Amino acid sequence: MTSSLDQKISRRGFFKLTGAATAAAALGGSDSALKPGAAQAGTRLKPGFESKYTVCDMCFNKCSAIARVVDGKVQKLDPNPKFLKSRGMLCAKGNAGVRQQYDPDRLKYPLLRVGARGEGKWKRLGWDEALDLAAEKMKAIGEKYTRCGFMFMAGADMQSTFIHRFAKAYGSYNTLSHESQCLIAGTRAFLDTFGEVPIPDMLYAKYCLMMGANRFEALVTPDSIDMMTAMKQGMKLVVMDPRYTKTAAKAHEYYPIKPHSDMAVMLAIAHVLIKEGLYDREFVAEKTYGLEQLAKHVEPYTPEWAATESEVPAEVIVKIARELGAAKPAAMIYPGRRSSNYRDSTQVRRAFAIVNALLGNWDRPGGLTAARMVGLGGGVPLEEPFYENNPADRVDAGRATLMFPEEGSFKLARDAVLEANPYPVKGFFCYHSNPMQTVANRAKTARMFDQMEFVMVMDVAMSDTAWMADLVLPSQYYLERLDPCSAQQGSSACACVVMRDPVVKPMFEAKPVFWVMRQLANRLELGEHFNFSVEEFRNAQLKDLPGALEALQKDGVYYNPSKLYGVYEGRIYKTKSQKIELFNQRYADMGLDPMPVYRKPAQPEADQFRLVVGRNAVVTQSSSTSNSLLMEFQPTNHLWINPAAAKGLGIEDGDWVKVASPAGKQWIQAKVTDMTRPDTVYMETGFGVLSPQLAAHGRGACIAQVLVDDFDQISGNMAMHETFVTVSKEAA
Amino acid sequence: MANQKLAMVIDAPTCLDCKGCLAACKVANNVPDGKWRNWIKGADPERRASSPVVFQPGNCMQCDKPTCVEACPTGATYKNQADGTVVINRTLCIGCGQCLAACPYGARFKNTDLGVADKCDFCAERRKFGLEPACVSTCPTKSRKFGDLNDANSEVAKLLKANRAVRVANEQTRTDPNIYYLGEPGPTNWTVQARMPEAFDFWRRLADPVVKAVVGLSGLGVLAMLGKQLAMPKDAPPADGGAHEEAGHE
Amino acid sequence: MLKRSAAMVLALIIVFSGLGMALALEADGNSRKGKYLFRKSCRGCHAEGQQAKDMSPVDMTQAQWKQLFSDYKKLPCYDKWGNVPEKDVKDIYSYLYGHAKDSPSPAKCK
Repeated sequence: MTSSLDQKISRRGFFKLTGAATAAAALGGSDSALKPGAAQAGTRLKPGFESKYTVCDMCFNKCSAIARVVDGKVQKLDPNPKFLKSRGMLCAKGNAGVRQQYDPDRLKYPLLRVGARGEGKWKRLGWDEALDLAAEKMKAIGEKYTRCGFMFMAGADMQSTFIHRFAKAYGSYNTLSHESQCLIAGTRAFLDTFGEVPIPDMLYAKYCLMMGANRFEALVTPDSIDMMTAMKQGMKLVVMDPRYTKTAAKAHEYYPIKPHSDMAVMLAIAHVLIKEGLYDREFVAEKTYGLEQLAKHVEPYTPEWAATESEVPAEVIVKIARELGAAKPAAMIYPGRRSSNYRDSTQVRRAFAIVNALLGNWDRPGGLTAARMVGLGGGVPLEEPFYENNPADRVDAGRATLMFPEEGSFKLARDAVLEANPYPVKGFFCYHSNPMQTVANRAKTARMFDQMEFVMVMDVAMSDTAWMADLVLPSQYYLERLDPCSAQQGSSACACVVMRDPVVKPMFEAKPVFWVMRQLANRLELGEHFNFSVEEFRNAQLKDLPGALEALQKDGVYYNPSKLYGVYEGRIYKTKSQKIELFNQRYADMGLDPMPVYRKPAQPEADQFRLVVGRNAVVTQSSSTSNSLLMEFQPTNHLWINPAAAKGLGIEDGDWVKVASPAGKQWIQAKVTDMTRPDTVYMETGFGVLSPQLAAHGRGACIAQVLVDDFDQISGNMAMHETFVTVSKEAA
Repeated sequence: MANQKLAMVIDAPTCLDCKGCLAACKVANNVPDGKWRNWIKGADPERRASSPVVFQPGNCMQCDKPTCVEACPTGATYKNQADGTVVINRTLCIGCGQCLAACPYGARFKNTDLGVADKCDFCAERRKFGLEPACVSTCPTKSRKFGDLNDANSEVAKLLKANRAVRVANEQTRTDPNIYYLGEPGPTNWTVQARMPEAFDFWRRLADPVVKAVVGLSGLGVLAMLGKQLAMPKDAPPADGGAHEEAGHE
Repeated sequence: MLKRSAAMVLALIIVFSGLGMALALEADGNSRKGKYLFRKSCRGCHAEGQQAKDMSPVDMTQAQWKQLFSDYKKLPCYDKWGNVPEKDVKDIYSYLYGHAKDSPSPAKCK
């Protein structure tokens, strides 16, 4: 099975998964119920249509939206103008949510695998049968391998809290989220500098240096929108990226930095700030720890030195440092979100955090702000049981220095499971997440599933991960669901709460994952932990927020007018020194570099390229690439390759090329463009879909198949950009 | 109710090319696969020497001298005097495609689902229910502003009064568009010269008054409207605010 | 609420710090079991609406927990602990210390 994953997937039908026809029959093909209502072209609304608040689920941002409903069918999703975090917008993906609701590829009822894993032969089950089976497997695996022998994974979903709750009640420490594919290195770095993860106050910034982020394409609310407003108000944006992104195109200045040299530039900026006395002396003296050590540490990191590492000219680095110094404290190094790049990503982002600290922008307008008080409670308390025979810790514990106990590391957990060290894990439940598409080294993920005794996946469609499962459960789409409340932070925009009520009736036999967890809990004698309804859970969350429910019903959002700036006045920082740590004492104690040390990174050989991955405003990840509307914007992905490099390889625009790494290979069409550096190739996420039950099947190449699974040594975050590939013009 | 002059005032430099307006329009108007009622010019940039790059959102410009209306042999396409939009009466449209070539902006397409010409109508259906055009309400950076230029208190009128604005037009085909761009408009070299039909010209002139009268009566169903249409000079000057100029090409 | 309870505990530390015969508990117990035992053994009293102040690992820093547990037998509520074996105390301490507010992974909620 695993070796065949390398095969080319194209419209020409190279990839033949046996039993696809069987699967199509089992899934029922097209269904008239899936045609959106109001079939007369050009008409969507009718007199008396309803407008209902909802919360978009096309990405993690959770934008409040208004569904326009006619005769029980959603016709259009509009932004909620009262929702300040999104600045009252709904992006292309949000608008395309209607198509997801009525996607002919939606799962309709539980399916049991009857062929080989990944072969695509399924049998329809009733819910009772499916739940009995799942409960029986969970019980058996828990008894045979301890409760930690069952692993749980849940994506960024408003009901994911119930999977974590179930895992705790069941007794497994092995829970995973998308975060170790995404942002935990950055989280680690800022937590270990400021004691918490900051929210950038983009709207009031006067100067922003953005590296390792593409905020005008990978939309994050309110940052993406506020960045444009700030620019209109005079903010200067400088972007460094190996790729000419739209963020680069909209920037005042753009520098095509050499990949993996961000730390060099940042240390040189610190060098100039300190040497020229441009840092905030008062702030640094009062609120930070370790200036003396830092000054000594960055002494050798001159702009001239950084220029040779980064290919950003020394005079540019000096100029940026001076401009940052002049604009401080309303000047920032954008902290970024996805930081799953390098083996030292925590240290790279530590360098970002340290320069921010030198600018004295913490807790001030236009800088990095602390989390505001929202006041949303944790819901119905859980009396977490303890299972005496359980192992001491997570299966991936200790594989990286400072991991987060709830998130763990998908990469390191997968390694541990494959090695059965320190103990075997034989069961897996995945909800609203798709590691077969998003996690580097897909062959390894497939092997992990191969060694599982039971894999259960719940999703709205037959994702690549569902395709590998034993039992597939149909999830309700967000427009059908009653969900708990969710707290959101948006710096000057808001500290707020959103919630989701059903907008339309559920289709087919789709169920919410809460219901599944409750049913399984009842079958496993854990019913006491799920002895409530979602409404009751929600009420418990809102108990300290009088008037919030009314506001949510009236406006679709509740705002807590909590303090925004100066939150830390008279408060200690949650670090060992109780100050902002330029020098991290705990790192020193643990034998880690207490300040970021630049070590010359490995570079691709002459015949290799560094592969970088990313997304744009019409692609979330694999969950959006089969959407019929978004597909019109981006039907497939391409390999961006620089004209100079392409010429040397005889590759022309549109040619099919083979991209190969130690992890695997894929075939993809080349996009020859000077928008990427000669040493760097780029692919978008979410394509090269294995599952023939998705419209995106046969389009483009899959990042997970070619990315090498290295990891950040401190946080355990995946390090995707350590991948070197060869590119050749070669037929499949 | 006084006649409206509906228009868009677009702040192109704030456009991110996120495609939100395209997606919103497509859903709101059931636009068929592969067709679009609106666009963003200058998207997917190759590496540019100058920065920041300006993307230019646009759609049918609801022109005051609409060449598409001239080109239409049946009178299906007409200028709605009540709100200034250029409208297509689908029952009268024979799908001949003359209007597509007659538009210097490529704003029209053949709706393959319906077999008629199609284009932006500033979301007439949504406006009927008090909603803004879909592209306007959904836009993250609110690059697109929409309103009535005849209403001095409208945001668009105020913006035009206070700022320098340009219209994108074709040197050979002046149409007096009702889309204004604040500041730098982005690419202006994409318009084309209108191709007006020759063969139908004679017949069109012959049939014109008759069909127009029919449209006035059946399409709008309001006699007073017909009166107004006849009384108003066809080339009514645009409501002028600030300094406008045309960014032309060719 | 939390701030007040933390202040109370701090006051207690100051009162008791002079008396302490440091027991020097190591934070190498089973923190996960500690979380469970903390709930079973401590939260009966230390919770909202109960006789003692609400309590969570993030109420204090690691140094403060260390100080507090250096001589836990002298804590004012020790007589109410009943027969908590030292092994369990160690687990509870490991949990509180390991998830203190300045720890690498502060407790997210109680």
